[in-house]
Amino acid sequence: MAANPLRVALFVALVPAAFLLPGSSPPRLPGDHSGYAPEQPIHFSHRLHAGELSIDCRYCHFGAWESRHAGIPPASVCMNCHASVSAGFDAQMAERAAAVAESRDPRRVVSPEIAKLYAALGLDETLTQQSAPTPIPWVRVHDLPDFTWFDHRVHVARAIACETCHGPVQSMERIRQVSSLSMGWCVDCHRASAAEPGGNSAQHVSTDCSACHF
Amino acid sequence: MAAELEVLAHAPTRAPNPHAPSRPSGCAVPSEEPLIGGGKTLTQVTRDVCAPLERRPTFAWWAALCAALAMLLFGVWAVGYQTATGIGTWGLNRTVGWGFDITNFVFWVGIGHAGTLISAVLLLFRQKWRTSINRSAEAMTIFAVLCAALFPVIHMGRPWLAFWVFPYPNARGSLWINWRSALLWDVFAISTYFTISLLFWYVGLIPDLATLRDRARGWRKKLFGWLSFGWDGSGRTWSRYEMACMLLASLATPLVVSVHSVVSTDFATSVVPGWHTTVLPPYFVIGAVFSGFAMVLTLMLIARRVMRFEDYITVRHIHAMCKVLVFTGSIVGLAYATELFTAWYSGNEYEMFAFENRLHGPMAWAYWIMVSCNVFVPQLLWLRRVRGSMVAIFVISLLVNVGMWFERFVIIVVSLQRDFLPSSWSSYCPTLVEFGAMVGAFGLFFTLFLLFCRFLPMISMFEVKTVLAPAHPKEHA
Amino acid sequence: METHDDNLLLPFEDTTSSRRSFLRTVGFGIASAAMAGCSRGPVRYVVPSLAPSPEILPGRAYWIATTCGACSAGCGVLAKCRDGRPIKLEGNRAHPASLGGLCAVGQASVLSLYDSMRLDGARRGGASASFEDCDRELTRIFAELERSGGRVRLLTGSVHSPSTRAAIARFVARFADGRHVSYDPLPASATLTAYELLFGRRLLPSPQFERARTILAFDADFLGTWISPVEFGAAYTRGRELAPGAKFRHIQLESRLSLTGSRADERVLLAPWETAPALAGLCAELERLAGLPSRLAQLGATPRSERIAALAHEVWASRGASLVLCGIDELESQLLCAYANELLGNHGATLDLARPSQRRLGDERALGELAAELDAGSVDALVIAGVNPAYDLGGRLALARAKHVIVASEALDETAVAAGWVCPAPHALEAWDDGEPREGLFVLTQPTVPALRSTRSLRASLARWSGDARSDRDLVRAHWRSEIFPRSGESDFDLFFERALQAGFVELEPRARRSLAFRPDALAQLAPRAQSPAPGALALVLYAKVGLLDGRHAHNPWLQELSDPVTKIAWDNYACLAPTTAATLGIGEGDVVRVHTEQGAIELPAHLQSGQHEGVVAVALGYGRVGTGRFARVGPHWLDAQPTVASDGVVGVHAGPLVVWGSAGRSFAGAPARLDRLARNVSLACTQDYHSLELPAALASHGHEVRDAVRSTSHAEHAADPHAVARSKHPVADQDLWPDDHRGERRWGMTIDLARCTGCSACVIACQAENNVPVVGKDEVLRHREMSWIRIDRYYQGEGEELRTLHQPMLCQHCAHAPCESVCPVLATVHSAEGLNQQIYNRCVGTRYCSNTCPYKVRRFNWFDYPHEDALANQALNPDVTVRSRGVMEKCSFCVQRIQEAKARASVEGRALADGDVQLACQQSCPANAIVFGDLENPSSRVSASASDPRAYTLLEELNVQPSIRYLAHVHSGRSTKKESGHGG
Repeated sequence: MAANPLRVALFVALVPAAFLLPGSSPPRLPGDHSGYAPEQPIHFSHRLHAGELSIDCRYCHFGAWESRHAGIPPASVCMNCHASVSAGFDAQMAERAAAVAESRDPRRVVSPEIAKLYAALGLDETLTQQSAPTPIPWVRVHDLPDFTWFDHRVHVARAIACETCHGPVQSMERIRQVSSLSMGWCVDCHRASAAEPGGNSAQHVSTDCSACHF
Repeated sequence: MAAELEVLAHAPTRAPNPHAPSRPSGCAVPSEEPLIGGGKTLTQVTRDVCAPLERRPTFAWWAALCAALAMLLFGVWAVGYQTATGIGTWGLNRTVGWGFDITNFVFWVGIGHAGTLISAVLLLFRQKWRTSINRSAEAMTIFAVLCAALFPVIHMGRPWLAFWVFPYPNARGSLWINWRSALLWDVFAISTYFTISLLFWYVGLIPDLATLRDRARGWRKKLFGWLSFGWDGSGRTWSRYEMACMLLASLATPLVVSVHSVVSTDFATSVVPGWHTTVLPPYFVIGAVFSGFAMVLTLMLIARRVMRFEDYITVRHIHAMCKVLVFTGSIVGLAYATELFTAWYSGNEYEMFAFENRLHGPMAWAYWIMVSCNVFVPQLLWLRRVRGSMVAIFVISLLVNVGMWFERFVIIVVSLQRDFLPSSWSSYCPTLVEFGAMVGAFGLFFTLFLLFCRFLPMISMFEVKTVLAPAHPKEHA
Repeated sequence: METHDDNLLLPFEDTTSSRRSFLRTVGFGIASAAMAGCSRGPVRYVVPSLAPSPEILPGRAYWIATTCGACSAGCGVLAKCRDGRPIKLEGNRAHPASLGGLCAVGQASVLSLYDSMRLDGARRGGASASFEDCDRELTRIFAELERSGGRVRLLTGSVHSPSTRAAIARFVARFADGRHVSYDPLPASATLTAYELLFGRRLLPSPQFERARTILAFDADFLGTWISPVEFGAAYTRGRELAPGAKFRHIQLESRLSLTGSRADERVLLAPWETAPALAGLCAELERLAGLPSRLAQLGATPRSERIAALAHEVWASRGASLVLCGIDELESQLLCAYANELLGNHGATLDLARPSQRRLGDERALGELAAELDAGSVDALVIAGVNPAYDLGGRLALARAKHVIVASEALDETAVAAGWVCPAPHALEAWDDGEPREGLFVLTQPTVPALRSTRSLRASLARWSGDARSDRDLVRAHWRSEIFPRSGESDFDLFFERALQAGFVELEPRARRSLAFRPDALAQLAPRAQSPAPGALALVLYAKVGLLDGRHAHNPWLQELSDPVTKIAWDNYACLAPTTAATLGIGEGDVVRVHTEQGAIELPAHLQSGQHEGVVAVALGYGRVGTGRFARVGPHWLDAQPTVASDGVVGVHAGPLVVWGSAGRSFAGAPARLDRLARNVSLACTQDYHSLELPAALASHGHEVRDAVRSTSHAEHAADPHAVARSKHPVADQDLWPDDHRGERRWGMTIDLARCTGCSACVIACQAENNVPVVGKDEVLRHREMSWIRIDRYYQGEGEELRTLHQPMLCQHCAHAPCESVCPVLATVHSAEGLNQQIYNRCVGTRYCSNTCPYKVRRFNWFDYPHEDALANQALNPDVTVRSRGVMEKCSFCVQRIQEAKARASVEGRALADGDVQLACQQSCPANAIVFGDLENPSSRVSASASDPRAYTLLEELNVQPSIRYLAHVHSGRSTKKESGHGG
């Protein structure tokens, strides 16, 4: 009879012990969404744009240099290129070949994803306004915990690479959250940098609560 | 204090009177009279103590339980409403941030004092008269501490985050807790106190649980068997048992002092005039002993009548407790005087004003209730006639409880009400919801106590048996 | 499961040993628990705009220079905008009149922009209609009236907008019998008339306070509500500052305790009926001193003659550098006031006649005539704009008798309800407009947000009805091009206009005019007599209250909850009585009284007001407005919540009906009134329970009768020993319990100069706007749960004429050894490396322990979740500051969001933070520049300089909590009272 409670006690005692085991990965705590990579309304490939074409981050996320928010680029920014680029190179070549074969003028090829962009702007394939534009509801990936004020400006000004927090974006087909974005994750970096000499300059890294919470 | 109790126990009183009535009235009680009346035999003790557990509950018990449950329900509503709506449902304001909540907290912690004091300290000092009351006193302690622990939680603006006061590893760069905060010390002091008290009480129960097991049958036998850890009354078990009790007692004793000292630091370590004084720890401890004994007395007087325990909780016990009450009451009076003297002697403008304000400010009535109930009323117990009447003692014990509640009210509210800047001076008026929480706490306390009376031996049988006097048939003609 | 494999906690490579297998089961259990924990909440979207506008970048603030439209003062503001909408108004430092200050009303006007009850679209006969239909119909009507020569009247407030005036002139000129009538709810018509009589031109001279060494103000509340308080306040404090040695005296002669009176060096209690005779006496004395023959033929007895004579001598001593002001709009007094200034040679010196103020242009006589015309029913069309006569004039105008009534108002107010047509007017922050508050100073108003409502300005409407379809912007531009630009002497109009827009104003030389000659004949007929009311009767004084003014902002919850700087009461108006008077009448605080005059009677609670004339009952205007019924829902809802509005469904009582209509216009002071005490009592929401620094006599121990929270001294004593006032009477500890473990490279600190602070409460509203401080309603204020982070403590000393009033802005002192920090169990309030006492809302569990231990009681607890349902009103919230939820503590953060912003900007620009980079909301709005903020560790910062002033002291320094705020003791040039708290009683 007295054995049961003992066994229970043993079990209860060992559960926390499980965490202390060498080699056991830390538990994923609530609110840690690293690895989150939702389907987006338009299949935009960072691998292609940031990686292959190596377009600078700031070309689209220009906000990060002047404002707290990096921002999602307006469709107008996409159109800077996609007004002319409407499909991948291979697709274009295939169409041209087909056109030659059928001895006709090559038709304009529009990849299905870019077609979505045009649709959002209310354009048809010939880029003539057809309907009212409807904004693109991108799914938010990097969602900081509430009651936290993060300022991209300051970090960019300190020449902290985007990859430091956002990971190897240039290799991601679909954007994925790599960091936990937890307070501990922020603070670790801040503590490390605070140790560096900063002095009285505004560059000084703060570990004060009010650096992020107000 | 120990010495005093020694004296109390063997107080030489006048010669025995053969015609002394055996019913528990009469004024003086010869020390020769046994601690347990009615010349009980061992079997009788067992039968008497187990009787309430084995017979159907009396009407009085049902009535009391219903009343207690009603109070508890009122409390549940109040706390529920307040948690759902906000602390604004209490009468607090920007100046008076604590009112009934912390008053009740300190009050209940105080009540929770006597139990351990009686069992542990008196056990260490070998006070035999404790045996009939220690069990219920300890139970009272545990229930009181439960009630006390309730208030710090519900007084929070966001009680659902109360667990943040515990140090646990977290993902916030290990955001820790503030070891400088007296509120945090409370958390640990009280949880420790509660744990030890609970253990002590349970260990004390084991032999009696075994007795119950042996008398019971069916599922109750199973249950009691489980609870008594398969106790066999062998000498080995007994000797270890004694040892365990001694150890726990010596562990518990310092806690008796520590827990309320720590509670007092909530106030003593802050700048508020009227709080910020070094006298508070001893002041609080003695106050706690005082109020604790008063509450034990109240409960015992009811219990011995309702549960028909006059033979076990005899006049002699009552008197011993009365003497403790006079004694501690006087010390409390001294503490009040000291407080006033310190304020005056400090020459500190704010301290002086704080006490002027207590004595004849807008809330002076609370102060004078406190003084009269705690200092003057207990002095009546010097009089034999008063000690003679159970009713009088009962009333006095109640008044002391009231007075001690007001002591905490005065310290907290009246000090906060008018502090440094006259512009923010304010007042405080409790709301229905606050009364609800208070009544609810009493409801919880009495509910638990009544259940205890019904389902566990209220008197430590095996300990009482150790102090049985040899029966003299003659005296009980 | 499969999808979450990476969530599993334990490595599975080695599963041989039984321990491992056991642990696996454990791990699995926890893993599933963890998965439950980390399941992502509802998917959130980020929807970028399709084509962004260049200057609007999400999360970045930008400023638009414009002009405050809250009153006719025309102060310059910079509207702080975020994501395409204004969220805060800041004073424009460059503005020549307001100099960067902005009053409480101006600060609050941003909330009115997001008022969901503003009119949207035109209305016809009480139902909404399209602008087009109304225009078509009205154009036709006006065309007909033009042909038939009908009587058209245009009723407005003071319009100093040049373009609008031009439009009005054009419009009125169309009609044979067209006329523009303007009135001011708080008139200065008599002043204009007085100068017309004495100088031949209808003008309102601009007082130059900074030039004045002696100020005699007769019931002129120029720091609170009179004409242009921000400008006057700024100039006044600068005047006080100039050459500290030089003697500055401000004597207030008034019947009630006004905010201005509370700052005066000396007060003389004058009943309204005594003002004119007193002024006459003053003039007579000045004539004698000037050695002139008396022009005042029929001089009556002078009340307080010896005192007046003394004042005459004093003011004569500083002739040419003095000011005599009169706030009573009554011809006799104004003539005498002007005459006194003439005798003192102030005209041209301290009273600028070349740049007269245009903030009051109303003509009471014209108003009277209009009233008569309306009574006769002879008005064909009445256009009402910018005023609310049905309320202001207490229903005196028979508006219904006009054939057509067209109203241009922002809300469906008392006037608009009755009107046939309503063409809603825009809020100043969404409109084009211009103005000329004083001659030569041209200000521009431009939209800071796309119009939130379908509205149109009077200017555009008038043009439209005359067949001119140009937009507001074009109309304003056109007028500037033709009228104002030529005077600038510049060549390129576009450049000129752009620059004007950017600055918000241009200052040009006023039109050259022949110098005005003084013509004293008007004085001869004056016969000032003190006719005191019948025994038993009191004189009724109707006054404007800081914040509410004439009631045009009554729908603004911030202003309703702003506790009056003098009485400290919010959410109500009341009948102020001198305590002695109240005692004789057996009236107590809050007892409802009925005030009878010949005009009628109103019932409202009584308030016992120290420093008020015994023969006077004073009632604030601006209450009882239709539409304040909305506040029935303000504040938390719970079982014991009391309603904010009175039983009649509105806030306060409308005192307008008691205004007396005379031949010369309305009179607000002096009407004989009787008081009846009713059997009811109303509790007034006063934020202060105890009003003096002197402790209750019964509780005060000897030598400690007075607390020295606010220290003040007289010039004489200050000159004798500059350090005396700041010296602490307490022993100050030098030992610390805790190690000094948070010394940073910077320590933010503040100084508040009590000699400058006028108690105008601009900082209070500025803070509320900046920090999303909620409105809690009357009941919560009554329970002392107001949420304002900065409050202004007001203490009285003495009584009657000897009363001295002290104002002290009180906010978190950011103590270096903060008592609140050591007691918080969860580290929700901690010290920053920069000396800030941080409050972390999302860590707070709400024990209120910190608030209990705060010696200054500046912490505010969220007792409830305060309503934020109004989506439109929420647009006014500052997106940089958390909206606190129930159960957490909050308090002044030294606008840490501004500090962070400044640091971010500095780091982007790669420079160190400079002194003055950070401006707090309270500091920015303060017209008197009483607040200095900066780094105390930096010896060259302005705050360090000001903190080293001999007057500087820290509050409750004996507690050794080491506050970061220093107060600079008040120095007055009145008689020093024995109870002067600087001397610790």
